[in-house]
Amino acid sequence: MIRFKNVSKTYPPDVIGLQNVNVHIRPGEFVSIVGQSGTGKTTFAKMLIAEERPSKGQIVVGGWDISAIKPSEVPLLRRQIGVVFQDFKLLPRKTVYENVAFALEVCGASAKKITSVVPQALKIVGLTGKADRYPRQMSGGEQQRVVIARSLIHRPKIIVADEPTGNLDSLNTREIIDLLKKINEFGTTVVLVTHNRDVVNELRRRVITIDRGMIVSDQEEGRYLL
Amino acid sequence: MSFVSTIRVIKFAFQNFVRNSWMTVATVSVLVLTLVSLNMLVAMNVLGKVALSAVRSKIDVSVHFRPDVDDNRVQTVKIFLLSLPEVKDVTYLSQADALTQFNQTYHADAGIIEALGEVGQNPFGATLIISAHNLEDYPKIMAALDDPLYADVIEAKDFDDRQAMIARVEAVSKKLELFALAVSAAFGFIALLIVLNTIRVSIFARKEEIAIMRLVGASSGFIRMPFYVEAVLWSVVALAVCAMIVLPAFMFSQPYLSDFFGTDSVDLLGFYAANAALIVGAEFGATLLMSCITTKMATAKYLKV
Repeated sequence: MIRFKNVSKTYPPDVIGLQNVNVHIRPGEFVSIVGQSGTGKTTFAKMLIAEERPSKGQIVVGGWDISAIKPSEVPLLRRQIGVVFQDFKLLPRKTVYENVAFALEVCGASAKKITSVVPQALKIVGLTGKADRYPRQMSGGEQQRVVIARSLIHRPKIIVADEPTGNLDSLNTREIIDLLKKINEFGTTVVLVTHNRDVVNELRRRVITIDRGMIVSDQEEGRYLL
Repeated sequence: MSFVSTIRVIKFAFQNFVRNSWMTVATVSVLVLTLVSLNMLVAMNVLGKVALSAVRSKIDVSVHFRPDVDDNRVQTVKIFLLSLPEVKDVTYLSQADALTQFNQTYHADAGIIEALGEVGQNPFGATLIISAHNLEDYPKIMAALDDPLYADVIEAKDFDDRQAMIARVEAVSKKLELFALAVSAAFGFIALLIVLNTIRVSIFARKEEIAIMRLVGASSGFIRMPFYVEAVLWSVVALAVCAMIVLPAFMFSQPYLSDFFGTDSVDLLGFYAANAALIVGAEFGATLLMSCITTKMATAKYLKV
């Protein structure tokens, strides 16, 4: 599903983001990418959605080499990968329903498709009764669930969640992780970037540890090591 | 881009147009100023031509004969002049008519009238007033009168002063056009900067929305297009506002201009009606081109998609 082959990323003048990374993530896996701040976790996530390009090496997603992806192909890639960020990225003047529908609208989906798919996504994340609320009327956990609903809207094969629980309390954190596990059970590959020790240890899934841009550990049922 | 996407692009553009209302007002205002100054340029061009044509139509040449030349000689010259293809008309003014005309002209100036009385007899000779088909023909007619056969009986010819007048009207007209062109260019440049800034602010105001669009897979064209549609909207509104200013202004000034030029041929509205497609098309095209080039510059610089 996802393969990094000797991937390195260097930011000018000589700041190392990633260094000679080799990873293979299989379809349907739930993988946590862990490490301290500034070690290259977010660079890893950004490379998956072609927000960053590798300085060296090759990245293949679903058989598609995205190392030198054309700008015109980036939107197509991003429709196949759902993205969840720590800072939600919701539009404050749109309702929950409109925020989720927005992802389809801007990609040219028909009104019929939008009215059929959006309620389904809201149902998966448990927000059916809150479709008319605005982000400011919701808790952090609920807002993150809206973001997850939006990331599911294109029925992606992969979800990349970069510190999705960074702004949440422990209760909401648990809810979001449970939701990601549920999505993973449907067959979606989940790449969770986090530095939350408890989350990683409770998950008991594959853990890849990055330190100073290099993979220092890759365990099938791992724990937070650093 | 699909039909659905096109409709949504237009919808987003309208939303931006309304939401950034103050920026919209500033942008449209400066585009209107540019268009109004361009229309002033067109109007000045038309009025300059009217003024020149009015001056040209009033131009003639007076040939003054010596007082001792008898009427038969004058009539011979008149017949000769009428035989020239360049001459449109020749009016004969007898010695008595010349005196009457002089008295009428200077009746308020007692000194001149008194001096004329001192002379004791009519000091004026007969005059022939010549009109040519074209202004350029006068030098040729003058040259024909330089023939010794006629030169001996002619006291004076007054053509040079009129030439100076035409040159002055042409010079003033050209200077006014140049001034209007400079004003238009200045407004155009300011409009360019304002449009650039408006799009920059618009991109900044929609930073989050654009970031989300990129994340969820909106195409680059879909993200950029609303800014272009907005530029089209600015152009359309600016043109409409400009028409609402310029046309009533022309309508209002029409009688005053006719009075000023002393002719009914001043018809700015008629000129605009006859050339509506060309003027509106050119002005809309120019505004649109300017807005779109600026949009391209602004999105290339500030919109990283």
